[in-house]
Amino acid sequence: MAVMCPVDFDKARLRAEVQTMYARVAAAPDGEFHFHRGPAYAAARLGYDDQELAALPLEVTSSFAGVANPHAIRRIPTGAVVVDIGCGAGTDLLLAARQVGPTGRAIGVDMTDAMRARATDGAARCGLTNVEVRAGDATRLPVDDHSVDVVISNGVLNLVPEKERAVAEIARVLKPGGRAQIGDIVIGEVLSEDCLRDIDLWTG
Amino acid sequence: MIDVFTAAGFTDVTITARFECFEGTTKQSTARKYRVVGANLSAVRAAV
Repeated sequence: MAVMCPVDFDKARLRAEVQTMYARVAAAPDGEFHFHRGPAYAAARLGYDDQELAALPLEVTSSFAGVANPHAIRRIPTGAVVVDIGCGAGTDLLLAARQVGPTGRAIGVDMTDAMRARATDGAARCGLTNVEVRAGDATRLPVDDHSVDVVISNGVLNLVPEKERAVAEIARVLKPGGRAQIGDIVIGEVLSEDCLRDIDLWTG
Repeated sequence: MIDVFTAAGFTDVTITARFECFEGTTKQSTARKYRVVGANLSAVRAAV
């Protein structure tokens, strides 16, 4: 089920809390958090290829905090244009860039300055010239209409209270027939009103 | 999420895999209580 926020939910506070949380992850990925991070977690629990992860800078993969594996859904075709919503330090973005190759493009979008800096630096260190990292968020993608073959995202839409708007943005940027490959959390129980208003649960 | 993607006009909206992403974290008990897991969702933007 998707979690919809109450109409009077403090979305600005949530946005600030998410930015603070993920700036902390970028600065100190080995710190205390209530979610797993890093390449060992990605390989062991989410099925990522450990050799592909090992080929990326540790400064990128150490901040990985995804909850699923969009790459396992379907291989991204060579030459495709892919957008990673909430690219973070760039693990999924750089894996996508390698898949699409030099004839494709991988565009990362993230609202946290420190994460964008890590992703940009990681792409340069990998010699990936087909990567572009842009400031933005899921509800306002800095991407042209119908210009993208594949949208990926991992553990981001659950942080967005305006889910319909975020998904409408995915539809706007995708070409007809384009694919969304989304890693996110799903909840099997109906949440109480108190849970829906608990900002700590939203940021986790 | 399936409902949101379907309402937005996507087709072939499918959960393809689930992951116990909160096992071993401090949120493990909450995740078990509310059956919270990571999931892969695949969807295709309808051709107009």
